[in-house]
Amino acid sequence: MAQQATSSPQTAQLATRPPLRTRLVRGINGYLFILPTFLFLGYFLYYPAWTALSGAFTDWDGFNPPQFVGLQNFERAFADPALRASIWNNVVWAMLRVVRQIVPPFLVAELIFHLAGRRQKYFYRTLFVIPLVIPGIVEILLWKYFYRTDGLLNQGLALFGIGELRWLSDPGLALYSLIFMGFPWIAAFNLLIYYSGLQNISKEVLEAAALDGTTGWRRIWSIDIPLTLPQTKLLLILAIISSVQVILEPLVMTGGGPGFATYMPGLHMYLVATQYGEFGYSMAIALLMFLVVLVLTVVNMRFFQERAD
Amino acid sequence: MGVMMKHMFIGGTRQLGLALLALLGLFPIYYIAVNSLKSQSEYARNQLAPPILFQFENYASAWSQVAGPLLNTIVIVGVSVIGILVCSALSAYAFAVLPFPGKRGLFMLVFILLLIPSFLTLIPLFLQIKRLPFANTYWALILPYIAAGQAFSIFVLRTFFAGISKELLEAARIDGAGDVRIFRSVAVPLSLPVLISVGIINLVPLWNDYLLPRLILNRAHQTVTMALVAFQGNAQTHTAPNFGALMAAYVLASLPLVVLFSFLMRYYIEGLTSGSVKM
Repeated sequence: MAQQATSSPQTAQLATRPPLRTRLVRGINGYLFILPTFLFLGYFLYYPAWTALSGAFTDWDGFNPPQFVGLQNFERAFADPALRASIWNNVVWAMLRVVRQIVPPFLVAELIFHLAGRRQKYFYRTLFVIPLVIPGIVEILLWKYFYRTDGLLNQGLALFGIGELRWLSDPGLALYSLIFMGFPWIAAFNLLIYYSGLQNISKEVLEAAALDGTTGWRRIWSIDIPLTLPQTKLLLILAIISSVQVILEPLVMTGGGPGFATYMPGLHMYLVATQYGEFGYSMAIALLMFLVVLVLTVVNMRFFQERAD
Repeated sequence: MGVMMKHMFIGGTRQLGLALLALLGLFPIYYIAVNSLKSQSEYARNQLAPPILFQFENYASAWSQVAGPLLNTIVIVGVSVIGILVCSALSAYAFAVLPFPGKRGLFMLVFILLLIPSFLTLIPLFLQIKRLPFANTYWALILPYIAAGQAFSIFVLRTFFAGISKELLEAARIDGAGDVRIFRSVAVPLSLPVLISVGIINLVPLWNDYLLPRLILNRAHQTVTMALVAFQGNAQTHTAPNFGALMAAYVLASLPLVVLFSFLMRYYIEGLTSGSVKM
C-alpha cells in the first residue's frame, strides 16, 4: 500500500549510532506521536480480533464467561446445512461481484480517459461521482422497491409484454437480483482508482503505441490492462473481501431467503450471534471466513507479483 | 468522408454512451427527488413522471422521522473523521519523519491491520462495547470508527509527509521549533488538501454504515441509516404506505452529502486519482 520505510540514513550511520538508551530517550516524541493511534488500535482492533480468534474455540452466550470446547464449533460448522448452502451462494456472489466491480469501472475509466478535452474529462468524472451522495442503504432500499412484483422493473417488462418476475421471492432468481442490483454498476471509487492508473501510463508509451498503430481494443489489451495491474490488484482484493463478508444486502432485502436462496456465511455469522446468542459458534464461522480471505489475499498478491516480475 | 469524420463519429458515440451511463447512474437521485413530492395516488399512477401537485407534507412527515437521526449521524461522523485525521496525521508524521527505535516493527503492526477484515471484529466489538460505561452514548460508535480509519489514513499521509523537503523541516528546527511546533505549523498546513481528501474518503463509508450502529446504538442515538430502515419497515406494515414520505426521507438523508460534495468533491476525485491509494 505504501513505500518501504525510510531506513537509508539509519543504515548509513549504523557504525556510529549512539547506544539504544540514548536513542530511546531521543525518540520519545516519536512514541508520543503514535501513542493515540496505538491506544485505539489496541482496544478497538487487536483486542476484538483476539476475542474472535480465541472465542472461536469456546461456548459463549455473551454474558457468562466463555467455556473452552476445543474444535466443537468447527465440527458443527462443517456439518451445518445452512452454512453449506450459504457457501455456494457466496462463491457465485464473489465471482459475479468481482466482475461487476472491475469491468464496468475500468471500461468507463477508459472512455473518460480518452476523451479529447481536459474539462470534458473532469466533467464526466464528476458526473459519475455524484451518485455517491445517495447513502448505500438508500440504494438497497430503492432496489427493494424496484424489485417488488408491482415495482418499476416489472412495469418496464410489462411494456414489452413480458410477465411479472418475482425478483426477490423466486428462489432461482433472488440471488442474481441481489448481485446485479445497482445497474449500471459504476462504482465511483473503483472508477477513480482505474483513472489514476491510466494517468500513470507514460506519454511516451502511449505515443509509441499510436505510432505502431496499436489503438482501440489492441491498446487496451496490450498496454492499458497490463499497466493498470496494480490498480486491479487493489480493487480485486477489496472486491473479494467485501464479497466474503456480505451481510447487508441479504439482511435488508431478503433476510437470506426465500429458503436459503440468498443466505450468506457472513449473514449466518451475524444471525447466529445476534438472534440466537451463540457467540462462540459465530466467531468460529468468522474465523473460517477470515482464513478464506487470508488465503485469497495471499494468492492474489503472489499472482500479481509473478506478473510484475 | 475522411479520417477526421470517422474520428468525430467514434468520439460522438463514445460521448453518447458515457452520457447515457451517467444518466442511468443519476437515475436514483431523479427517482427519489420526483417521487418525494407525489401523493399516494400519483405515485401509484406513474413513478417516473415529475410531480403534478407538490406534496410538501411528505417532507414534514419525513423530517419528523429523520431529523434527530440525521443530527446524530452528523455528530458521530464529524467527530470520528476529525479523530481519525488527528491521530493518523500524528502517527504518519512520526513514521515518516521522526527517528525512534522499533519504527519498522511498529509500522508493520499497522500494516497487518489491512489483513483484519471488519467482519472479524464486528461481533466481538458489539460484546465489548456493550460492557463499557459509555455504551449508550455517541462515543460507543465514534471510538471504534477512529480506530478503523487509522491504517488507510496513515499509509496515505505517511507517503505525503515523507515527500516534504527535509531542508524545510530542518530550517524550522534550527529556528528552535520542537516536533509539535513543526508538525502543527509546517507539516499540517502543507498537507491540508491531502488531509481533506483523506477525511472525505473516510467519511463516505462511515456515513453509509448500518451494521455496527444497528448492533451498538440505542434508539435515542440511532443513525440515519438505522432510521431509514426502520421507517421503511413501518411504512410496509401500514395498509397504505406513504412512499412519498419515504422518498422525502431518502432525499433528506442525502442532503448533507450533497452539501459536502458540492464543496469538496474536487478533493475526493483528486485524492483518489493522485495515485496515493495503492498497494
